[in-house]
Amino acid sequence: MIGTVLRLELRRSRSLAIWLGIIVLAYGAFIAAFYPVIRDNAKLIDDYMAVFPKGMLAAFGMEGTLSNHGIFFNTYIASMLWPIIAAIAGTILGTRQVAADLERGFIELPLATRIDRARYLGTGIAGQVVVLAGLSLAVVVGVLVVGTVVNANFDNARFLMEVPVLFLFACALGGTATLLSVVTLSRSITAGVVAGGLLAMYLLDAVSRLQADLDWLGTISVFRYLRSTSAIDQGVMPLGPMMLFGAMAIVTWALAVWIFRKRDLVA
Amino acid sequence: MPAIELSNLTRRYGRRRGVVDVSFEVAEGEAFGFLGPNGAGKTTTIRVLMGFLRPSEGQATIFGHDCWREAPLAHRDVAFVGSDPAYLGDMPAAAQLDVLGHLRGLKPGAWRRLAERLELDPTVPIRKLSRGNRQKVAVVQAFMGTERLLVLDEPTTGLDPVMQREFLALMAEARAAGQTVFLSSHNLPEVERCCDRVGIVREGRLVDVASVQALLASHWRAVNLVLGSVPAKDVFDLPNVRVLASNGQMVHLMIQGEVNELLRRLAALDVRDVSIATPDIEDVFLGFYEDQTPGAGPNVAAPAGAVR
Repeated sequence: MIGTVLRLELRRSRSLAIWLGIIVLAYGAFIAAFYPVIRDNAKLIDDYMAVFPKGMLAAFGMEGTLSNHGIFFNTYIASMLWPIIAAIAGTILGTRQVAADLERGFIELPLATRIDRARYLGTGIAGQVVVLAGLSLAVVVGVLVVGTVVNANFDNARFLMEVPVLFLFACALGGTATLLSVVTLSRSITAGVVAGGLLAMYLLDAVSRLQADLDWLGTISVFRYLRSTSAIDQGVMPLGPMMLFGAMAIVTWALAVWIFRKRDLVA
Repeated sequence: MPAIELSNLTRRYGRRRGVVDVSFEVAEGEAFGFLGPNGAGKTTTIRVLMGFLRPSEGQATIFGHDCWREAPLAHRDVAFVGSDPAYLGDMPAAAQLDVLGHLRGLKPGAWRRLAERLELDPTVPIRKLSRGNRQKVAVVQAFMGTERLLVLDEPTTGLDPVMQREFLALMAEARAAGQTVFLSSHNLPEVERCCDRVGIVREGRLVDVASVQALLASHWRAVNLVLGSVPAKDVFDLPNVRVLASNGQMVHLMIQGEVNELLRRLAALDVRDVSIATPDIEDVFLGFYEDQTPGAGPNVAAPAGAVR
């Protein structure tokens, strides 16, 4: 039964995964193609960037020279593309099995069979993990493949170390969306809270970087932990952020399953 | 052990009522019709029965298993189709029926014979199917297994008359195979033909549970007489007869229940023509809602469907 539900969820995720996969691959490839230009003109770009307030650059994750691999990846992928992709994928996947299927009326069909609710949602969460892992890998692979073609000299192993960080960040969003979906039984409320929460955290992180005495605000923003450059710059896995995102994902998914077991299903 | 047992079932939505103190049993092998207008509490009852909603008070069981606490166990013996089931638009019916069949312990393709019988093309994505064809998918889903209990919520909505007849045939086959049926429907003739007993729900409360025959017999039937001569004044003085209009040789009266005494008296008269309108379940059903008094009112029985 679990295999059946997993296959169903993966089949339903196919077109989302393909389209988001194409986007992250294409974006990563496009950005990587420009890296040699940035590297070869690092001095010019740094002089140009110096015109802007430091705080503003920091707010966009640019704390150093763009020719630095870690800053480059952080600026164009971790701070910009990935939060948007992860939020879209996490929200769609996290709300689909409960809130969306309840709104469209499909949920009654599988739940009227012998599968119990915990297994049903748990299997759906496994489907989320597979899709989010694939997207996390795709975003880095796109950068590395084109980086190799244009002689960007990216360290493949260190870039691939970013995959689990991006993956766990997406899982944290997927878990949050799943939990909100079970609690509110509403796709729109869940999407609004996830998007609004992310935007608020982004602003908190930016403000904390602009204003030294408000630095503590950044500690409650997930973006501070997502922007670690230790993997690419030093070859050190950012275990702290990974554990934080992983714990968020596990706790929110577990809570979602626990609540769903005894949740009235009324659209 | 009854197939379905509801004991003082109450379900509220905050301060709004859903169903209040509903109790009835459905015996194994029985076909039970569940009638009521929109908002009466039919769907709430079915949702509680299927374990989608927790009862506020009371209990619902299927073959002895609590519908809320032991839902997966209860579902082992149930095939359920909700009203207007929303299948996944992008997937063909075949794939979805296989998934749902597998979750019910059926082999792949268990739906094939029924799909052919109902002339359903299972390869077309659901979103490309008409309303009637989508409903065929639901009918196939309901009957593709051999579960002991069928819970069907408005299963024939959108089906054409030919397919409605096929549905009735499937119901008859299910019953012959010993399956129990719990049928919620607005199609009252369908309930009349399929079911042994009916429960009528109004404003969240069960107002009557009776066999279809008993329910029909307890209601008023119209009798129109054309006589060869003016009858004696007291000829229709019977406790279960009301004369509504008498124009000499033409008499319009209503009778409830036992008809033998009336027929005996008519036999002594010069009767030129007689029509007796048998009330159908629609009359009975409307009687509950129009008169607000179960079984009351000679205006209940319309002369439609008169037998001569």
